[in-house]
Amino acid sequence: MAQRERRFALMLLAPALAILVLTTTAPLIYLLWMSLQRIDLSMPAMSGFAGFDNFARMGGDPRFWSSLWLTLIYTATTVVLQVAIGLLLAVLVIQIPRGQGALRVAAILPIVLAPVVVGLFWRTFVLAPDFGIVDLITRWLGLGSHNWLGDPQLALISVIAIHTWQWTPFAFLVILASLAALPPDIYEAARIDRASAWQRFRRITLPLIRPAIVIVLIMRTMIALSAFAAIFAATGGGPGTATEILNLYAYRTSFSELNLGYGAALAVVLLAITLLISFAMFALRRSR
Amino acid sequence: MKPRKLIVTAVAAGILVVWSFPVLWALLTSFKTERDVLAYPPKLIFTPTLASYADVLFGSASVLPNLGSSLVVASLATALAMLIAIPAAYALARLEFPAKRGTGFYVLATQMLPPVGLIIPYYLVMQKLAVLDTYAGLIVIYLTFSLPFAIWLLVSYFEDIPREMEEAALLDRASRLRALWHVILPQVRGGIAVTAIFVFLNAWNEFLFAVVLGGNRVRTVTVAMFNFISVEQTLWAKLAAGAVLAMAPVILLGLLAQRHIVKGLTVGAVKGGGRR
Repeated sequence: MAQRERRFALMLLAPALAILVLTTTAPLIYLLWMSLQRIDLSMPAMSGFAGFDNFARMGGDPRFWSSLWLTLIYTATTVVLQVAIGLLLAVLVIQIPRGQGALRVAAILPIVLAPVVVGLFWRTFVLAPDFGIVDLITRWLGLGSHNWLGDPQLALISVIAIHTWQWTPFAFLVILASLAALPPDIYEAARIDRASAWQRFRRITLPLIRPAIVIVLIMRTMIALSAFAAIFAATGGGPGTATEILNLYAYRTSFSELNLGYGAALAVVLLAITLLISFAMFALRRSR
Repeated sequence: MKPRKLIVTAVAAGILVVWSFPVLWALLTSFKTERDVLAYPPKLIFTPTLASYADVLFGSASVLPNLGSSLVVASLATALAMLIAIPAAYALARLEFPAKRGTGFYVLATQMLPPVGLIIPYYLVMQKLAVLDTYAGLIVIYLTFSLPFAIWLLVSYFEDIPREMEEAALLDRASRLRALWHVILPQVRGGIAVTAIFVFLNAWNEFLFAVVLGGNRVRTVTVAMFNFISVEQTLWAKLAAGAVLAMAPVILLGLLAQRHIVKGLTVGAVKGGGRR
């Protein structure tokens, strides 16, 4: 019986596993191998085994360090902003008896949009100088018109704002669902103790919704690390390299400069960072 | 109204506007003439026109073929992913076999790979196989993110069905496959529909693979939108009409699956981690 079950399970799983091995594990091994090669499509004659040359080259490549730094800033700020704003909104909104449904529907709109369309949309209708709604508002407030995506510092803030806009609803919805699932009587004892609203939140609500917050934190970090389309559409990594996170640098190196070997090595570094951060987060989650 | 309640309501109303703004603004802009679009301050009342839609659908740079490409790629990728994911998810949820935990974790871990890393090998291999810019090539590549997602979301639905159902079916000596088909699958019909919606949505919105591995013969609507802005940057109303057409299917599907969206967003996270 047990053996028949095993055989049946294998039969059901085989197609899925075969495809995943072929489309993810095999390419991963190929990627690792490529990162040790010199593959420059603009100079095909120079191709060959390069050992760790690609990785050694990163040490003296300021564009790499800049992209690494931007990746960390982009990931940290977008994730913190999403969780903080999402938590704040969820805690506020759970208190209003009517209209929650409308907010839940509105929250879905940014999430279901294609990031590339979101990036294009912000680039034109929201941030374009003299035309975008944000520019209209700052002009109206007397703060003047700005080149939101053309100025290096503003561009970084803008792409962070775009990601935060699109994905805060995710944090909001997950935390709101967790808040809504709390039993209503948990506050009774605290109310008798005359605990303040802040104390009730700190001591009762926050520990109970912590699992939801941790899930949001982990998932959003992973997605922020692989963010691509919205930045690509809004700034293309520019101006210059002002918004060129590691993802975009690997892409530009591979497909604009056609240096696939170095591009692969950059992607391997990105993968290593992703794994490192996810291990750290899971360790953190388990220790709690 | 108490001041506290007033503040909360005001914040909620503000957020409502901020989140729905792009969709509403694109909708509004798409019915304007290019002249009205440029008016300052922006016109909220104007004579609506369908000219931009006519242009974007039937003009020289029609997005109709791109909508068609997206529909073909996303539907076939969804159908294929569901066909393969349903049996796998059932096995992971219900059957006992060696290395079950490891297999589940493997499926989840495949999602951790950054797409930018995978696309370099894909490009070279597909070039060699001469499947760049083909429907078949792109659809198979879409399985890399559709399949793990579908498997994990389906596992959660399979786990929700009571076990008795299935054991009763086995007592009848119906073969296991027939039990799966006739007894189990009807129980998870809703879960299958929700999963298919999310898989379709992700495939429709995909950009990186579509732009690198497709491009000419197979140009999905996300790639077309991206090209549009570099070619015809100042035709705002036309851009808005195109955006509305590109967004409409995912918004409708998102609203349809509204109640399940939190589950869809956090799939896998409860057990292991990973991402959408």
